[in-house]
Amino acid sequence: MEDPDMKDKKLHLKRLMFSIASLVDLGQEATSSKDLMSKMKAALFVITGTLSVPTAALFVYQPKRHELDLVVAKGHRDIDAEAIRLGATAIQVKQFRMNDPHTFRDLSANSFFEQNKTVLTNLQARIFLPLFAKGTFVGAITLGKKIGGAPYRQGEKDVLRVIAHQMAITLHNAHLFLELSKKATENRRLYRNMQRIYNDTIQAFAAAIDAKDGYTKDHSYRVASYSVAIAKELGWKKKDIEGIYVAGLLHDIGKIIIDTGLIRKGEKLTAGEINEIRKHPEISYDILSKVKFPWKDIDNFVRHHHERMDGKGYPDALMSRELSEGVKILSLADAFDAMTTDRPYRHKLGLDRTFQEFIECCGTQFDEKITGTFFNLLLRELSGEVMELQILPLLNNGDEGYLADGGTVART
Amino acid sequence: MSNFSLSSRSSGDIAVMMPKGYINDIAAECLEQENEQFLGHGMKKLVVNFSDVKFINTIGLSVFLGMMQKTLENNSILCFTNMKKDHQAIFEIAGLIKHVKVFKDEKDAFIYLDGRP
Repeated sequence: MEDPDMKDKKLHLKRLMFSIASLVDLGQEATSSKDLMSKMKAALFVITGTLSVPTAALFVYQPKRHELDLVVAKGHRDIDAEAIRLGATAIQVKQFRMNDPHTFRDLSANSFFEQNKTVLTNLQARIFLPLFAKGTFVGAITLGKKIGGAPYRQGEKDVLRVIAHQMAITLHNAHLFLELSKKATENRRLYRNMQRIYNDTIQAFAAAIDAKDGYTKDHSYRVASYSVAIAKELGWKKKDIEGIYVAGLLHDIGKIIIDTGLIRKGEKLTAGEINEIRKHPEISYDILSKVKFPWKDIDNFVRHHHERMDGKGYPDALMSRELSEGVKILSLADAFDAMTTDRPYRHKLGLDRTFQEFIECCGTQFDEKITGTFFNLLLRELSGEVMELQILPLLNNGDEGYLADGGTVART
Repeated sequence: MSNFSLSSRSSGDIAVMMPKGYINDIAAECLEQENEQFLGHGMKKLVVNFSDVKFINTIGLSVFLGMMQKTLENNSILCFTNMKKDHQAIFEIAGLIKHVKVFKDEKDAFIYLDGRP
């Protein structure tokens, strides 16, 4: 027959192993990828399974309201969890022993018990376990009577302390994560608002530039849209496409300080007047180089949009090899729109004539690759080969265009 | 994905539940719900066959605890059959084995239950 002392020791050892196993189970749940509520529910199951308690409830503390909201319950199928709250003032919370199981006798001196007696009784609570993480009260667990009515052993209360500590940290971390997520969402919203304001401001500038001359109404917008169409064809990245769009909108910003009479002049310009007008790319550069855009090379694109491949352009008479692809795109888009719209000094050219002009100037004024790309796309649009038209609607005074957020929206 | 599934059947006034896989996740709560449903339909003789159960942890124990509590409240009988040694050990350590009737297999449980009112 086995020695009773040895039997007790074995039982004690088994219980200890069981407690360790339950803590392992809890650790696995706390560190799992489940959402917080699933973690908390699993943790509550670990506690009830470890201590043989059929009923338990987990509350999360709401410091602004000084209330504990029930979030997960076990063994209480018929209760309306959302309606169950426990009041807990700062003074009452101060009287709780951190992560230590309280019996109702322990709580008798605390007005918390009297205030919440009805709810605690309805939950058949026997143990109240306040959860503290880094000294902050984050929630509480109530535990009911053990199955069969056995009392809570000291060893079980010790296990509860460890469990409470781990659950408090999990809750606290989840709360911090939630706060961080909220802030990140708010920041994203603010960023989108700023982006919208930024886009609207740029559009407003473009409208102001084009308003200098009735003939060039929407010119900047069309140049921007043609540039986007080419950049897309060339496989540019989204961010760079946004950049070329903005460069298109602002490429003539320097014209704002050029005499309006000169811009609108229908007769032939004098050499002095031509020189004056030719200052606009540099002025555009001076204005835009002071702006810290989120896109690269905007100032350079606008400075060089009147350069030519043969080095006969202005303001810097750069050769093809010195010009970036963005400059070559903008230069072509600007010239194409100038040809296909009425000007004070001539009527717009038809597509055939425009096409002819580009063939003649390809390699000298315009880059061959960019010209080929643009007219290939135009031909595909004309033949009905592409569904999403980017050039034709603008030639036909269409009213849609590319925006920095990547969307296609109605123009204002 | 849960490694747990449940099938059940009733035979006369006896309901048999056959959990399968790992009873270590809150997904196993459906076992407790199934038990309640049988009780709700007035079945007072309940059998859980453990032959396909691979593992039980404290979350699983909590599920069985809920079943035991409801069975006690309903003056019903809960029987466990086909338990492996380690299944039985965890219920013994937790002090829960006294709340159920344990049988070698379903046949023995049925013989016992057939003799009960």
